[in-house]
Amino acid sequence: MWDMIRTLFQEYMGTGLIVGWYLLSLLYLWFTEKDRRIRVLFLYMPLLLLLLYFNPIFARLICIATGDEIYYRILWLLPMTVVIAYVTVSIYGRIKGGKKYCFALISAVLVTVSGSCVYASPHFHRAENLYHMPQAVVDICDAIQVEGREVMAVFPKEMLSFVRQYTPLVCMPYGREMLVERWNADNPLYDAMEAEVLDMDVILPLAKTYSSHFVIVPEDKEIVGDPEEYGFTLKDHIDGYIIYQDTNVYIGL
Amino acid sequence: MKAVMGCLILCIWLVGIPLLTGAIPAFFTKRHRNPAFMWVSGYMISWALFQLETVPLVLTHISRSFAALVKIFGISSLAVAAAGAFLLIRSRKSASRLSLVRGDTKESRTNRIYWGIFFALAALQLVLAVAMNYQDGDDAYYVAVSTLTESSNTMYEKMPYSMGVTGLDLRHGLAPFPVWIAFLARISGLPTVSVAHVAVPLALIPTTYLIFYQIGGQLFVKKKEKLPLFLSFTALLTIFGNYSIYTAENFMLARSRQGKAALGSIVIPMAFLLYMLILEQTQLQDESASQGSPGKGKYKRTSWMLWLLLWVTVLAACLCTTMGTMLICLLLGTAGLCSAFVYRKPGLAVKTALCCTPALVYAVLYFLV
Repeated sequence: MWDMIRTLFQEYMGTGLIVGWYLLSLLYLWFTEKDRRIRVLFLYMPLLLLLLYFNPIFARLICIATGDEIYYRILWLLPMTVVIAYVTVSIYGRIKGGKKYCFALISAVLVTVSGSCVYASPHFHRAENLYHMPQAVVDICDAIQVEGREVMAVFPKEMLSFVRQYTPLVCMPYGREMLVERWNADNPLYDAMEAEVLDMDVILPLAKTYSSHFVIVPEDKEIVGDPEEYGFTLKDHIDGYIIYQDTNVYIGL
Repeated sequence: MKAVMGCLILCIWLVGIPLLTGAIPAFFTKRHRNPAFMWVSGYMISWALFQLETVPLVLTHISRSFAALVKIFGISSLAVAAAGAFLLIRSRKSASRLSLVRGDTKESRTNRIYWGIFFALAALQLVLAVAMNYQDGDDAYYVAVSTLTESSNTMYEKMPYSMGVTGLDLRHGLAPFPVWIAFLARISGLPTVSVAHVAVPLALIPTTYLIFYQIGGQLFVKKKEKLPLFLSFTALLTIFGNYSIYTAENFMLARSRQGKAALGSIVIPMAFLLYMLILEQTQLQDESASQGSPGKGKYKRTSWMLWLLLWVTVLAACLCTTMGTMLICLLLGTAGLCSAFVYRKPGLAVKTALCCTPALVYAVLYFLV
């Protein structure tokens, strides 16, 4: 339990510099703050919360109730941003003359150096449209969906998270559960779709077991086997993907 | 034209309705009668109302439950907002107090620069909320639930990841934040995915700063000129809050459409703000009693409204995520204990415990269903 607590805290801290500034801010408040309200909410309470966070018995109780993956969210209760900003501005207020501007500037630089810009995260991308979905997903879903009914389509891995956000009319034999390793989901069709060479003799019979109307595969992957043998025809090429449609499955209303 | 109308309707529901709703607590707390307090209080009341109306519909599993919810919540929200508008008109004599930035209006040049820095940093976050997209796997659940709810008129009955129907997903159904997004999409007629990824962040990011603004107002009661610098630092710390992917700041900017982000960046700071105001009232009551002045009743009325608003905020925490029930109880539990000890007022702990009752009820439901 202790290892889990420590690991989660270390992972939450990142480099530890911002948390370091926060702890220094608490120390500053301890010695200088006179206002009882501020001492209660921004000093005593966070310290009590930290004591609880690092208490293995408390951690065990919480993990039994909520699971250990989200135990770190207790740290959201520490008002780090407010306290660091408050202490910085308080110190700024105590400095006389032009030096306080230098202090403000140095503090701002320290924040930028100690933290990490949210927008520099590799998960941030320039939005391709006002849906905030990959344009390929939007175009393909628009091409295959039929207003008033659901269609079944097999998508490659990179599109699984987006399809059902964009439209409820497109169903998939498997979805995001395949992308989370710890969930141990298993699907032979997914394995066949993610193989280096796409073997239609494996993929299409499996897709038919789900009554799939469409199978979408990337253009840049090698494909073996003849889709027409299984009743699939080439419907379209869109944004680097090939759409095959099963002509034997009724798609009207 | 349809899109423009949809945007206007969203503005009404994300700005106008919360502002008018928040006029109710603002009316009873004269000291906090300003748009910032009205906005954030309005969100808390609106979310609490949504939670109270949605969960019974999820649990009873009635057909077309979402369609029923849209009518019930739509009408009740408009009724509450109308009551707020009525109170606002009644208090129009003190309308001069309705300014976002109270206090000395003769800002120094330096302060104007700090305000400029803060507004630039906040505007940057809003622009990037539209221009950039954070691809998070959890959206495949939460945003898909919003999309499915809006299209199917059912709640938590369809599988968001792949296809088909599922047994009622009560674990998530007890914290129906994605249904609130579906409501906004239904009422505006805009695509649910756009409402979730674009409109909701544009409303919730400013909400966080309005809470920080008021916390700053409390921290620098007699030094209001420090407020813009304080806000500039909160904005900077938020932008550079990606020291790990787990921080509330990261959630706020990257995953604004998820309930857990709303919990970390809005509901928890709001609970801090309300507790600060409650302790302020406690101190004012004590001072008033020691001086024998007759204004104690006035402080009591404000105090009761703040406690009520804290109770409402606990309900709002339950809407955001099931974990919210535990986190808000933990926050208020420690706040209640520390304040009761420091102020030597056991009543503070008792009242705080009473505020936690909604979270305890939902926690029991969570384990029962």
